[in-house]
Amino acid sequence: MKKRKLISIMLAAVMAVSLTACGGGSKSKEGGTTAQAQYVNTYFDSEPTTLDPSLRSDSYSNEILTNVMEGLIRIEQRDGKYEIMPGDAETWEPNEDESVWTFHLGKDRKWSDGEAVTADQYVYSLQRSSDPATGCPNSYFLAAILNYDAISTGEMPVEELGVKALDDYTLEITLKNPMPSFLESTDASIFYPQRQDIVEKYGDQFGTDADKMVYNGPFVVESWTHNSEIKISKNAEYWDKDNVSLDYVDYQILSDVSAVSNAYNSGQLDVLYASSSEEVAQLEADDNNVYTKISGGNITFAFYNTQDKLFSNVNVRKAFTLALDQEEVNEMGFDELREPLYGWIAPAISVDGTSMREVAGNPILEQKKAMEAEGKTAKDYLLEGMKELGLGDDPAALDVTFSLAGTDDWFHTFGEYLQQAYKEALGVEVKIDFSEWGIFSDNLANGNYQIGYMSWGAYFNDPYDMLSLHMSEFNQISTNWSNADYDALVKAGASEPDSEKRMQDYVDAEKILMDNYVVCPFATSVNHLFTKSYVHDKYAEYGEESLYFKHPGWKNVYVTDR
Amino acid sequence: MVKHVLKRIGYMLLTLFAVATITFFLMRSIPGDPLASMARNLPEQTKINYYAKYGLDQPLFQQYLIYMKGLLRLDLGESLLYPGRSVVGEIARTSPVSGMVGGIALVIGTLIGVVLGIIAALKKNSWPDYLVMFIAILGATVPVFVLASLMQYIFAVRLGALPASGWGESRHLILPVIVMSFGSIATYARYIKSSMLDTLNQDYVLTARAKGLSEKKVILSHVLRNSLLPAVTIFSGSIVGVFTGAFVIERMFSIPGIGYYYISSINNHDYTMILGTTVFYAALFIIMQLVVDFVYMIIDPRIRIAAD
Repeated sequence: MKKRKLISIMLAAVMAVSLTACGGGSKSKEGGTTAQAQYVNTYFDSEPTTLDPSLRSDSYSNEILTNVMEGLIRIEQRDGKYEIMPGDAETWEPNEDESVWTFHLGKDRKWSDGEAVTADQYVYSLQRSSDPATGCPNSYFLAAILNYDAISTGEMPVEELGVKALDDYTLEITLKNPMPSFLESTDASIFYPQRQDIVEKYGDQFGTDADKMVYNGPFVVESWTHNSEIKISKNAEYWDKDNVSLDYVDYQILSDVSAVSNAYNSGQLDVLYASSSEEVAQLEADDNNVYTKISGGNITFAFYNTQDKLFSNVNVRKAFTLALDQEEVNEMGFDELREPLYGWIAPAISVDGTSMREVAGNPILEQKKAMEAEGKTAKDYLLEGMKELGLGDDPAALDVTFSLAGTDDWFHTFGEYLQQAYKEALGVEVKIDFSEWGIFSDNLANGNYQIGYMSWGAYFNDPYDMLSLHMSEFNQISTNWSNADYDALVKAGASEPDSEKRMQDYVDAEKILMDNYVVCPFATSVNHLFTKSYVHDKYAEYGEESLYFKHPGWKNVYVTDR
Repeated sequence: MVKHVLKRIGYMLLTLFAVATITFFLMRSIPGDPLASMARNLPEQTKINYYAKYGLDQPLFQQYLIYMKGLLRLDLGESLLYPGRSVVGEIARTSPVSGMVGGIALVIGTLIGVVLGIIAALKKNSWPDYLVMFIAILGATVPVFVLASLMQYIFAVRLGALPASGWGESRHLILPVIVMSFGSIATYARYIKSSMLDTLNQDYVLTARAKGLSEKKVILSHVLRNSLLPAVTIFSGSIVGVFTGAFVIERMFSIPGIGYYYISSINNHDYTMILGTTVFYAALFIIMQLVVDFVYMIIDPRIRIAAD
């Protein structure tokens, strides 16, 4: 292998010499870029699916839309805290129990073609997304809105959706239940307005090309070379254009890790998301790079089928949960790019600006402490559980299968690690089942598994988003666990106007979840963002603490001397 | 002759039909669907509405009939992953890009490869032969992604002479073409060398030499012509390869070609896109086979007689 590398380097050197020789005076680097040319070059791993807010489903289209569209509000960061800034809505107010929200749109809000932004465009957009005929993959985002459920099954016409334009500039949204966190959730792309005339003009083609859409955000899509590059440039019609510094942002579509690294190091990109701890260390050593670590909302975890004979026993689940060491999992499974997680809610998720983890502590660490205080090990709980189930006292005789939703190298390595870790701590010979997501999710739905592994990303900044996954009526992780107290607490929290009480409800709910050992959290995502030192943000400077659930896009970014 | 051509075209259509049918049912027998690429459990109603929009809720055979009917009209449907983009449109947009990069690389690579092959054969067992074979073995063994990354590192990061990746300007073509032509150079150099050595031992070469022809004339009009014949066979395959693109190279250089698109649609269970590209490739391959047969007839009289 080493030899081959050497040979290829030699070969490349030969070619380099011959090429420069026949190139004959290759052009010097483009001279003298003006001191403050305001642009940023960045990249995507993959092509955005579509810019149609009702049909998009990937994170790339979401990032573009954040920059080229304006919603009712924009969640930004000010002085290290979340702040809800006006978007198309200048002001807003809920009714007393926070079940009806009224938004007052600014009269100077315009689309890139000069048309005014009006409330009925919001109504049209939300109706279109909830219409079953649209087939919107994110439609369940609207589940909080009155009559959405009946509309999504086609039992009720879309006009019945709880969204009304009281006049051109007043939008009223009526919810199924009171929901104090509703305002934050309107930051999602599904809440962006849509122009009926444009949607109908382009039909199926709406949002598939730069010129087949209109924009009301800080930027417009100037060009889109599919599978290669997207360029967005400043929107001259944008209401807050005086506060937009960048003239354009160029997204190159580049999915190969080494190609990204080469492009960044050659100065072709100003931004890079590191993909290995080795790369982090290497880039961190160079003063021209600014390193911003952003703790994210995506968590990885193991979960148990509580209807399975063995895992219906809480002591067995407890044993499997306490058998693993989160630090080690992070090291072995995630190259230490994530952060160990000891509860269900990621540290990035907060209630009224306070991280829930700060209040709720680290349940798994506390459980481990209690275990040590009792002088027990995870294996003791397993033996207790086996006794209760009448399964004897030999853990090696247990038949346990861990299901993984993937078949590539990473899953195989991770599977082997889990096998070894469970064997060491519990003496159980765990089998690993590798399958594609399609089979895996069918197995979950049919209760045909024992332990599984998954990752899940929170959509908005309220613990309800993650806690509701385990409510009996949703059962979205397919643990088949049901707990009436838990359901009641999560529901109560979601509609509790007092933020302290709301936090307490969520913390109590999470405690029930953790004490029942329904899931075993592993680690939370961290973005390792590197930017060149000339890239700056007015309100959340690179290199300093950066919040996760905000969507300023490139609005507040500017560059100094390159 | 006409009968022969018609027969070939008939077989071609039959093959295409079989390819389309087999691909359709194979794709559907794989678990998962386009929604699976989102890798999360969507609420039931959301899934139902999504399936209904794309006709995935209908019985499989019904879907097959709809698909085949569309195929007859050359309508391959709409991409499931990229709403609003027709498969035919996507193929028409991406394949010329791959064709251009691959075509340039193929021409350059073949020319250099043939020349190197001839040199190696004529200077057998001396240093030019060893050098050519060294390059050929490297070209065949060094993985493309290693070569591509190395080129980017040298020319973009170290020398700053060329962009590491991108598309739209002619200078963006240089690195991918170099990397891509390398494979052709290696293939043709080895192929031509062995074919030349073979021809040089033929009786008619001996005859030509015995006639007192100059060495130059022997090589050019007797050896070379006969040695190039087998190369035509692999060349047809290479032309298909040009349009089908080079997945790794397109991915590493941000080239909006069809190869990268094809692979990502497989990963994302984009049924219509996979079917469309597969049928396109199959058609291209079969047509190229047909062309090669005719080219053979033109350059080799022996084959012409056999066909008649």
